Amino acid sequence: MKKPRYVREDRCIACGACTEKCPGKFDDKYNADLKAQTAIYVEYPQAVPLKYAINPDVCLKLTKDKCGTCEEVCPADAIDYTMTEETLSIAAGSIILAPGFKPFDPSKFDNYQYANFPNVVTSMEFERILSATGPTMGHVTTFPKLPANPKKKKDKLLAQKRKDPKKIAWFQCVGSRDVNKCDNPYCSSVCCMYAVKEAIIAKEHAGGDLDCSIFFMDMRTPGKEFEKYYENAKHKHGINFIRSRVHSVTEDPETGDLFIQYVDEMGQIVKDTYDMIVLSVGLEITQQTRDLAKKLGIDLTESGFAKTASFEPVTTSRDGIYVSGVFNNPKDIPESVLDASAAASAAGDALAEVRNTLTKEFPVVPETNVVGDRPNIGVFICDCGSNIAGVVDCPHVTEYAATLPYVTVAEETTYACSQDAQDKMVEIIKEKGLNRVVVAACTPKTHEPLFQETLKNAGLNKYLFEMTNIRNHNSWVHKNNPDIATDKAKDLVRMAVAKAALAQPLKEEKINVNASVMVVGGGLAGMTAARSLASQGYETHLIEKKDCLGGEALKLWKTAQGEDVQKELDALIKEITSNDKIVVHTNTTLEGVDGFVGNFTSQLKTDGKTTALEHGVAVLATGAKALEPDEYSFGKDDRIIRTLDLDKMFKENDPKLDTVQSAVFIQCVGSREPQRPYCSRVCCTHSVDNAIALKEKNPETDVFIIYRDIRTYGERELLYKEAREKGVIFIRYDVENKPEVVVEEECLKITLTDHVLNKPVTIHADLLTLAAALVPRKDERLANFFKVPLNDEGFFVEKHAKLGPAEFATDGVFVAGSAHYPKPVNEAITQGRAAASRALTLLAKKDSLFTSGNIASVDVQKCSVCGVCISICPYNAPSFLAEGRFAGKADVNPVLCKGCGLCVASCRSGAIHLRGFDTNQILSQIFALDEVS
Amino acid sequence: MADDNIKIVSFLCNWCSYGAADLAGVSRMEYPADIRVIRIPCSGRMSPKFILSAFREGADAVWVSG
Repeated sequence: MKKPRYVREDRCIACGACTEKCPGKFDDKYNADLKAQTAIYVEYPQAVPLKYAINPDVCLKLTKDKCGTCEEVCPADAIDYTMTEETLSIAAGSIILAPGFKPFDPSKFDNYQYANFPNVVTSMEFERILSATGPTMGHVTTFPKLPANPKKKKDKLLAQKRKDPKKIAWFQCVGSRDVNKCDNPYCSSVCCMYAVKEAIIAKEHAGGDLDCSIFFMDMRTPGKEFEKYYENAKHKHGINFIRSRVHSVTEDPETGDLFIQYVDEMGQIVKDTYDMIVLSVGLEITQQTRDLAKKLGIDLTESGFAKTASFEPVTTSRDGIYVSGVFNNPKDIPESVLDASAAASAAGDALAEVRNTLTKEFPVVPETNVVGDRPNIGVFICDCGSNIAGVVDCPHVTEYAATLPYVTVAEETTYACSQDAQDKMVEIIKEKGLNRVVVAACTPKTHEPLFQETLKNAGLNKYLFEMTNIRNHNSWVHKNNPDIATDKAKDLVRMAVAKAALAQPLKEEKINVNASVMVVGGGLAGMTAARSLASQGYETHLIEKKDCLGGEALKLWKTAQGEDVQKELDALIKEITSNDKIVVHTNTTLEGVDGFVGNFTSQLKTDGKTTALEHGVAVLATGAKALEPDEYSFGKDDRIIRTLDLDKMFKENDPKLDTVQSAVFIQCVGSREPQRPYCSRVCCTHSVDNAIALKEKNPETDVFIIYRDIRTYGERELLYKEAREKGVIFIRYDVENKPEVVVEEECLKITLTDHVLNKPVTIHADLLTLAAALVPRKDERLANFFKVPLNDEGFFVEKHAKLGPAEFATDGVFVAGSAHYPKPVNEAITQGRAAASRALTLLAKKDSLFTSGNIASVDVQKCSVCGVCISICPYNAPSFLAEGRFAGKADVNPVLCKGCGLCVASCRSGAIHLRGFDTNQILSQIFALDEVS
Repeated sequence: MADDNIKIVSFLCNWCSYGAADLAGVSRMEYPADIRVIRIPCSGRMSPKFILSAFREGADAVWVSG
């Protein structure tokens, strides 16, 4: 069912005229209700589609049949009060659920008085307070919930007390890890990191004097690069981290100052005053989402998250329905993006057979050859209703445009982007034989492709087009100076015409994509990627340096959800080896890689024999391995083992386990240390899980976990809770004061300072398990082969930390698994699927992948072979020609060129041209700055 | 053009500053009408030649943003 917008999407041009006089008001959700917005609104400036909507609950026309102003002022005739709910029926083969979450509402917590104290805010509110587009334009101030210009007397009085805060506190785990005041036993996974971020940004905005304190239980920063961020927050930014849960908050009603009292780690009661308190609220699944799940018949966990299996982490309990994002357990942006790609791959795998059966071909209009013809330019000036014409004298600009050199047609149109205007443009181009088109309207960033399509429909090369922005850069920003805006519009049109006159038809090179894939690494992530690509019909070569598939997963016992890893792994390996689209190369190493996206040739070495493999894309999934610790007497006694050794004992049902009386786990062995400043992400859950297993084996066994912060993120927190309930004892240590291990014949003695008693305690154990760091392979050779970066620790650096987590900046190369960052089974599989999904976007376009026309090209006659372009290009596009008449001269590979122009600007011989932004074109704009008098 | 009007030639990177100028418009900010935007694909495209040419053509200032 589609709810009515009351604004026709096909007509709304998002000019915003309707909001200016709208009398209806309601809280602006995007600004965490800190601002009001009008009844006709757009949710936020970057909304897609950028179309307005009416809130029927507050609109006077829809509630009381009064007003109707927006209909009167709308220049596009887009308002339609008669719209009703529509039921749309879509036939789909797969469904992906991504309904997200809502932030926890802390109003019901009477101890923090969020509902009553104006200076207690939620983290979502604080997020908007920090934003330059938020209610205070990024200025951190107390009483942020008051309107900017309060009208009520009471608000006015309070507003006078507004001040720049000197002390701000963040309270973690509000609505998370809490079954007393709410029913959310899980960890929301994201709050620690966003609180650290908010504190740093608040200090940046307010200056160094601002005192920021974060009150927390465990600092959970297990994401990639997060631990370093946390360390920087402590040491570089001076954020205070206080391990304590604050009981309650009171207020000085006069000043709005907040008083708190808490117990510090030494057991002392501390009293303190803060100007503002930010509640780090957790993530919750809405009732609406639960209802949707019920309707669809999919199983949920008690907290309302979709139930998924570790080996099918984006597949719900119902066939054909997939899930991604926070609904699939609380997660941060990169994991949500990975989930989304993975869900797309899972949904696509199921539909592989019917791929492209519903697509329709678009007819292509043959292109007119205009090379050598005298420029014949048409200029179209858009009024954009009154958006441009209300400020700029459009008829005058049109008249003026007609006088410019080479211009044969100058037309004013009400909405250049409307379908009828486009049709008319095609007609005029054909009728007048135009060979260049200039449109003066809004921004080319959104509208250039549309007009280029119009040119194509008129048989013109799409690069014979120039657009100039007389709305966003002119009428909207100079609305009080119509004369000056008109002059500026004339200048802009003149400059655009000058550039257009020099435009040349450009060719988009076809990229040939070899439809086979190479996956490096036969672990879980690599196998998952290979399986997905093969099931989509692509020949996949899986390279494994060892003699068998499975990787590190072969050493695992069970997943955090209790699944038997070896059973599932066996099934996956069988699927891989029996799939005729997958060629498994065991005992094989990679000796060299040539080529680029779509056309790689790799040298594989198997048993001393080298063969060449041609492939279009590559997935790197080389994994990580457990560290060999050099502390805690590891290697000196067989009672001191690593987590994976304990897994082996469980897998083999080692009788030694039955005799264990006292077992100790030490966490962060080699992780979160200066030489390895990252969190290995998987160890906390793994140790907690194994501790439970020991307790289940024999409830009499004493089990201790010695930790720094327990990082059982998401619903893994339930395991932590279960472990405590089963009697596992958790003792915290500081990195400056590590436990000491003494090996004695009858037992292992582990001594550490108890942080509650502040006294040394000694535990006698007969089994010590070290949660050893996961260490990447730091394969510099492989990184060089594909020209992909490694970070300081040796993990691969992805294209974008948030938005491109499964791909590299190098086109056609993808990353998955622990080679990217340590990850548990379900996350390695998700990323394997995600990498396959990203690779598919290239493979599926095999016959229709073209470069842009706006790329660099070399005039070989002028090239002086200096090599600057080769050394400077961030995409490795230029190289010296190896053969032919111009061997030795530079050449730019059109497939790799991104058209940035760095080489063009750097070429000392002027030998490189950037098509579409060539030197003469930019100079022509400069020369046209002033009218020729 | 009147003498009190100045002209600032602004070379804006398509991906950041040009988009920011678009957003300034969407947000209905107001600023003096002295700038003339030339869109470039990346500030790496910028060449000293363009700056000198702009001054030679009478620009009062040149702004490169990316």
